[in-house]
Amino acid sequence: MQAIDTKLKRLLSQVQKPARYMGNEWNARQKDHAEAAVRMVLAFPDLYEVGMSNQGLKILYESVNSRPGMLMERAFAPGMDMEELMRAYDQPLFALESGKPLAEFDLIGFSLQYELSYTNVLNMLDLAGIPLYADQRGESDPLVVGGGPCAFNPEPLAPFFDFFVLGESEECLPELLAGLDRLKREAPDRKELLARLSAWEGIYVPSLYQPAYKEKRFSAIERTDSRAPAVISKRLVRDLDRAPYPTAPIVPYLQAIHDRAVVELFRGCSRGCRFCQAGYIFRPVRRRSRDKLVETAKQQIAETGYEELSLASLSSTDYPELEELINELDRSLYGEQVKCNLPSLRLDSYSIKLADRLHRGKRSNLTFAPEAATERLRRVIRKNISEAEIFSALNDAIDAGWQGFKLYFMIGLPTETEEDVEAIVDLCRRLRQYFRHKSSRKIGISVSVSTFVPKAHTPFQWEPQLSLPEVTGRQEILQKGFKKMPGIDLSWHDAETSFLEAVFARGDRLLAPALEKAWRLGCRFDGWSEHFSMPRWRQAFRETGIEPEDYALRRFGYDDLLPWDHLHCGVDKAVLIREHQKAFNIDKPEQGEAQ
Amino acid sequence: MTRIRFSFTRGEVLKHISHLDMMRLIQRALRRSGLPLVYSEGYNPHLRFNLALPLPVNVTASEEYGEVILSDSVTPDQFMVAFGEQLPAGLDLTGAWIEDDYSAPALPSTVGAALYRATLVAEEGCRVDPVHYRQALDNLLSKEEILAPKTKKKKKKKVFVNVKPYIYEAYFNEPEKERPLELNMLLQTGSRGGVSPFFVIEQLEKELTVECNYKAHWELHRERLYQDQDQFLQPLSEGM
Repeated sequence: MQAIDTKLKRLLSQVQKPARYMGNEWNARQKDHAEAAVRMVLAFPDLYEVGMSNQGLKILYESVNSRPGMLMERAFAPGMDMEELMRAYDQPLFALESGKPLAEFDLIGFSLQYELSYTNVLNMLDLAGIPLYADQRGESDPLVVGGGPCAFNPEPLAPFFDFFVLGESEECLPELLAGLDRLKREAPDRKELLARLSAWEGIYVPSLYQPAYKEKRFSAIERTDSRAPAVISKRLVRDLDRAPYPTAPIVPYLQAIHDRAVVELFRGCSRGCRFCQAGYIFRPVRRRSRDKLVETAKQQIAETGYEELSLASLSSTDYPELEELINELDRSLYGEQVKCNLPSLRLDSYSIKLADRLHRGKRSNLTFAPEAATERLRRVIRKNISEAEIFSALNDAIDAGWQGFKLYFMIGLPTETEEDVEAIVDLCRRLRQYFRHKSSRKIGISVSVSTFVPKAHTPFQWEPQLSLPEVTGRQEILQKGFKKMPGIDLSWHDAETSFLEAVFARGDRLLAPALEKAWRLGCRFDGWSEHFSMPRWRQAFRETGIEPEDYALRRFGYDDLLPWDHLHCGVDKAVLIREHQKAFNIDKPEQGEAQ
Repeated sequence: MTRIRFSFTRGEVLKHISHLDMMRLIQRALRRSGLPLVYSEGYNPHLRFNLALPLPVNVTASEEYGEVILSDSVTPDQFMVAFGEQLPAGLDLTGAWIEDDYSAPALPSTVGAALYRATLVAEEGCRVDPVHYRQALDNLLSKEEILAPKTKKKKKKKVFVNVKPYIYEAYFNEPEKERPLELNMLLQTGSRGGVSPFFVIEQLEKELTVECNYKAHWELHRERLYQDQDQFLQPLSEGM
């Protein structure tokens, strides 16, 4: 930070992990405010170490800061202890690079990755001294924009934002900033500026759309300005090789959750799991070329000194020339002592082979996500792996010397019965027996169970979430089942957290007052179990007349207009309907027949 | 193989990071520098690199030391340039030299004591009365023993250690106009036990007999490291 004033200095000496707030990291860009026509802050509504692990943030930082005449700084949600001090000392939320208050920037862009970070969005606006509601902001206030996965259903946040960008913004953001500079000079006021902006591809200005409700349920939405399109299409990068990508990413002082160099092999995913929002909103699949990946990896390692390189994507083993890529990386990074890793391993022998090839050192745990324990249910969600494949893949992994496995499952999936849940226990029991038979080593199994959350723009968007008592009941089945199985470590997501996520994932604008209320009651960091408080949320819903169950547990009909139907994710509703129907028309093989 | 030792300072902008952050930051700077580094053998290769003494969070320093083993011969000047340009603002190299004696003990084992200076910074419009602090220090030092909690790793049981003998010296600066109150502390550190400067200050504040409503806080600086040679303290800089 260029100028740490004494007040801020004082605060930093009192908080936990002051490195969260000091900026000045290696490769952070200090650009001159006087020379920039547009100044933006990328605001990440979670802690520094979470935000700095987000690859999207690093891509956007590069895309804006590599251009002359514009700058992007960063701000993260302050920890609870820092918030308390900031409020006590009247310290407004500041951007890390310059230490300037957010209110002095032209544009505040929130990265919306997760519904449970929404209260942090409001908290950050408040700490910045920016009016919460878009219609309360004046000409001198920054514009507040949102982007990221949650911008595909931003309705619960609509009144707090001036506009949203749909889809991938690394190419359009610099364009947008240049255009904004022009618009600011041409448009007579903020309202007119937004109206003109609404005509641009991928821009959603929620104040120009008026929703209607029948019996407190969303029923229609109408444009109030003819310049705004009826349906907003998403922005998409066509050629990843030519899109901006960081070659010298920021190296945090504090250890971020993912603290390593990252190259993105491809965007999108061809697997089409029906519960997975990322699989739908990032379509179609676009690859980076091998040459580009190798070049970027070399630059990143040279510029950062990182000791680890991640080959990232939604399903990295689907990259067609993965082995060649790994060979080339090996050659180019020889002597640099860089460890490569593949996140998101598929449960098949090819993936195991590659994981093994990349791995150096002790073979501790491999992580897989079968998601469901019966083949029937896996077909419903389109996670098409057979039980035979699971066994054979894990068999190979043990042969290669791996010590244990972490398996991710989901409960509450559409059509799931209690038998499907018992099958998780049963599958793990059989795996354990098989491992005992096979190996004299002790093979550890840890099972992590999350709760299904129906998401907008997926084939399961019409499906209700399983009710809280049923979720708890199924968690108990697991607890009971695994109790008798020492050596298997069970963990599960808090049911109420997933419930709240479901409320907002398919929510509409009527939720905005409840969100504000919850924030005023002290809700922050709702995704962190140590801060999450359902009683406070219940109170917020009660006081604003919201029935959260009506959101999370509702089954939508194909004829219902959905609150996000005017936002197009690139996949037509007809395709989603077809996929939804296919989920319920799978052939029903007997369980375990493929064994 | 070349064994290079270097000295550096840590300024305000970088004082908020932890020892582990420092270790990572310096290792990554070394990796970027293009210097011929040496890694340990084994599954998790790590750099042959050391810092003399962990620097606590929120402490600046004027004379810290590190050492690194290189595979080829590199002159101190080459090292200063290659490494120096990879260091962020707030961390400045002040010297580098080759340790010829390959059997010289690793840096961390040589440090026996450290000199700290704590400055009492009062907020604007608030004056600190040094008399109370001097009295508190006298009270503290006249105690037979000063007990500090210490958690033993294995037993996880809290035990108390008398840290009074670890406080070699503690004194305030002579009163001068326009100069804030400064507490100098020479404290034992290292494997034979030690005491944190923060703990000494905490104990000092407990001894304040008057309720002090000052809006003031302490800023800590580490002046110098010492090695303990047959009961005599010698600045690390002179031993190398």
